[in-house]
Amino acid sequence: MADADEEVLQNPANASVQPEVDLSDETQDFRFLNNLNIYADSGSLPRRGEKDFEPNPTEHQTGVLSESRRAMHNALSFPRLHSKKAHVIAFYAPDGYTPLAEIPPPKAPQQTDKSTESAEKPARPTPRSANINPDVCVYVPNPKGPFFKSVGQSDRWNRLWLLPEEALYLIERGSLDIRWPSPTDPAIPGEDGLSIPMSLQAAWASFIGHGGLTLERYSVYSGLKRLGYTLARAPGWCDEAEQREHEQNLAPSPSYNQNIIPKLRGAGLAGILGSLFNWIHDPYSTASTTSGPMIGTGINRHYMDVYRKLAIIPWYDPITASPSNPSDTTAPFRVVFHVWKPSTPVKKSAPPTPEFRVAVLSTRDQTTMPNMTQLGALLESTPLDPPSGEKMERMMYMRLRHGYRNVILAVVDQGVVSYLRVADSAFGKEKLYENQGGPRGPKRGGRGYQKSKKR
Amino acid sequence: MATPAANMDKPVAAPSKPAGSGRPRTPRPPRPNFRQIHQFPLPVNVHHVPPVIPHNPLSLISVALSYLTFLIMPPRHEIYSAYFDKTTSSIHVTDEKSIKALWEMGFFGKGSLSRSEPSWLAREKKRRGLHDGKTSEEVTRARREERRALKLERARMEKLAIEETLKAEAAARESGPAEGQTPDDAANGTATATEKYSLKKAKEAKMLEAREARLAAQDAELEQKPEPNGKSVRFSPLVQKKEFSSNSPSSETVMDAFDADDFPNEEHLQLSNEEAFFLAYGLGALQIYDAPSSEKTKSTSPTPISALLQQFCHHSFQPARHDTAALQPDDPFMISYTVYHHFRSLGWVIRSGVKFGTDYLLYNRGPVFSHAEFAVVVIPSYSHPYWSETEERRKYTAEKQARSWWWLHCVNRVQAQVMKSLCLVYVDVPPPAASIDDIGALFGQYNVREFMIKRWTPNRTRD
Repeated sequence: MADADEEVLQNPANASVQPEVDLSDETQDFRFLNNLNIYADSGSLPRRGEKDFEPNPTEHQTGVLSESRRAMHNALSFPRLHSKKAHVIAFYAPDGYTPLAEIPPPKAPQQTDKSTESAEKPARPTPRSANINPDVCVYVPNPKGPFFKSVGQSDRWNRLWLLPEEALYLIERGSLDIRWPSPTDPAIPGEDGLSIPMSLQAAWASFIGHGGLTLERYSVYSGLKRLGYTLARAPGWCDEAEQREHEQNLAPSPSYNQNIIPKLRGAGLAGILGSLFNWIHDPYSTASTTSGPMIGTGINRHYMDVYRKLAIIPWYDPITASPSNPSDTTAPFRVVFHVWKPSTPVKKSAPPTPEFRVAVLSTRDQTTMPNMTQLGALLESTPLDPPSGEKMERMMYMRLRHGYRNVILAVVDQGVVSYLRVADSAFGKEKLYENQGGPRGPKRGGRGYQKSKKR
Repeated sequence: MATPAANMDKPVAAPSKPAGSGRPRTPRPPRPNFRQIHQFPLPVNVHHVPPVIPHNPLSLISVALSYLTFLIMPPRHEIYSAYFDKTTSSIHVTDEKSIKALWEMGFFGKGSLSRSEPSWLAREKKRRGLHDGKTSEEVTRARREERRALKLERARMEKLAIEETLKAEAAARESGPAEGQTPDDAANGTATATEKYSLKKAKEAKMLEAREARLAAQDAELEQKPEPNGKSVRFSPLVQKKEFSSNSPSSETVMDAFDADDFPNEEHLQLSNEEAFFLAYGLGALQIYDAPSSEKTKSTSPTPISALLQQFCHHSFQPARHDTAALQPDDPFMISYTVYHHFRSLGWVIRSGVKFGTDYLLYNRGPVFSHAEFAVVVIPSYSHPYWSETEERRKYTAEKQARSWWWLHCVNRVQAQVMKSLCLVYVDVPPPAASIDDIGALFGQYNVREFMIKRWTPNRTRD
């Protein structure tokens, strides 16, 4: 099944902790949970049942319904425990990253030889190791298991620091046991049972809103994570406040000046020769863009010439446009997550180029679609990704659909996430009239499903 | 029947794919040669000149010759005429020859009584039994009838299945508490749920049935009066019967009332304002008159292009603005024409997308050759500093640019359903121009930027 969770496939042991089956946006027939052998690690995955759309008076349907409900409750009532083997304890550090003192006695003045400014540690500390995100708030002293392959950042004491969304995802999943910091001594948390475990409710209360993590961002994070994607924060995550100020006195994006009227292009010797021949071909042109007709009343030699004369509307060229710097983007329209497919190996220390870039926005804060400036700035903050490959070269439609830059908007409407892929396509770069002839033959020749397509 | 439409359409469409191996279908009547009919992409004459080959002096002579012939006998430049109808704010073309030319070369306009190509006359002739062959409207109608019949049939089958289950359950209840059966079934319901009635299967069954019915009917038909549309074998007998009963009497009465070949064409070609302006200003192939062209009041001179632009701009509001109103750079006509001209100048055949809830559809070569691949939605943009100078302007432009997410999702889902790619086209509006004398310069200030929008399904892109 294509929509099965990969983690279950890979780690049947973990599947036994909490079965994860992709639930798409349909109402579920929960009877499939009966087929899922929770206790033994079976390799097979459950199948979904068929759907009835209307209630009918048959007992069969009622039976199916109640059975489904029972199965759901069954699955929900399964005790979710931390198994001895996979039990990972983490500690909540509300102050963010704190380097471990070299010498265990906590109350003693910090006399680490390396750090000089560690004295003002209790106040929000600036992370000394530049690679630790200042928003981290949970650390795992002894990370083990498959979940920490792609999340967290290690410090030099082999503690793994987790961002709030990572910690919340793991605790929600039942894979992490987070402890409150010990009230007596925040630096050295008690190792065995000295501090209290954090409840799920407390985790939500502490982590949502911490370090720019909004509910919308978390739903996107957890949703994609559950599907097996690897996510990492993108640079657009933070400093919203100062960017907004910057935005106010920002002149309109300069890239629009870069537009070239396509008519004026064509350089070099070929261009000169071409214009010469054009002159020979059309010596007494009556073409007038002032009051038409633009193609003139004279004799036109070829439809190409006609089309060339018609081109007066400037269009945006994504290649020549200068890449705007990320600060041009307006607050919600900003890449927040870098996403990799489940099959892509992602090394935490050296992540490859992201496969998707996701911007998260809430329809309750941003009630309207972005305007051109906002959307353009968002796209220009992503690298150029022109259509390439043999297939794209052949197929114009694919090129147009792929575009030159692309970004994914995650539009969260009260918890419901709709993803939209926005691509910057330049129709002006594909002169259709040059390869006129297009689709050959009658229209039923093409793709199989074309029949159902409406004209 | 709350089945989503997607599920209904697919099975109907799917069986047509596998090359019709042994499918009972009479060979279609040969299609008209569209490549020949629509060989010219625009209603403009082009005259090819023999190529100049530098190392072949003879080629120069042939070029010179062709020039000479053009000088002596300049080719006629066809100019069609139309009139502007104020009440519908659209352009009407009534001349038979112009209608044909404008449709065949570039697919301009739409028949006022047809879906797109003006085919009323052909349909009417057919209805009166004067003409054979199928119009596209009929093909569509037939397809819809067929689908509706299949859906009804599916509903009927589902109902039957439910009744059967009820009966079985009643029987089981009477025969005693053999209750072990139902819950067991339900427990692994994936396997045993009553087999759903599938449209595909139904269609296959229909085909067989129809073939048998046709064979049987062939003998009977010999005795009957031949019906003009009795050829549509793909119908279920039920639908066919319905069609006959609805068609036959009406056609006969009409036959009585009118004389055969002698009726006027009631249809005219309707051009949108953008199409008309493109034909007039861009190609110089159309002259637009003001008054309705009843023979006497026909005004002698066509509307000049600049006046035409003003007129269209005023009529892009509902109700139309007064003639003296000043032109604004963001008049709906200016924006929509910018997009229209942009895509036309790139070689696309651009037509209204109102049937799919968008502003335009883009066809490669034309609707008879391929389905539209792109659906275009036009949104104005005001990024020029002029528009954010005062608070008032900021408010105005914000209102003009605002589109809700729900609207976008609606449009997007509809386009996905009809297999089109949604393209948002933002038109950057310049500040008000000092003069509108130079139309080319006026439109040269606008800026077009296209974005493709597609739903991203994380489930599908995992691998």
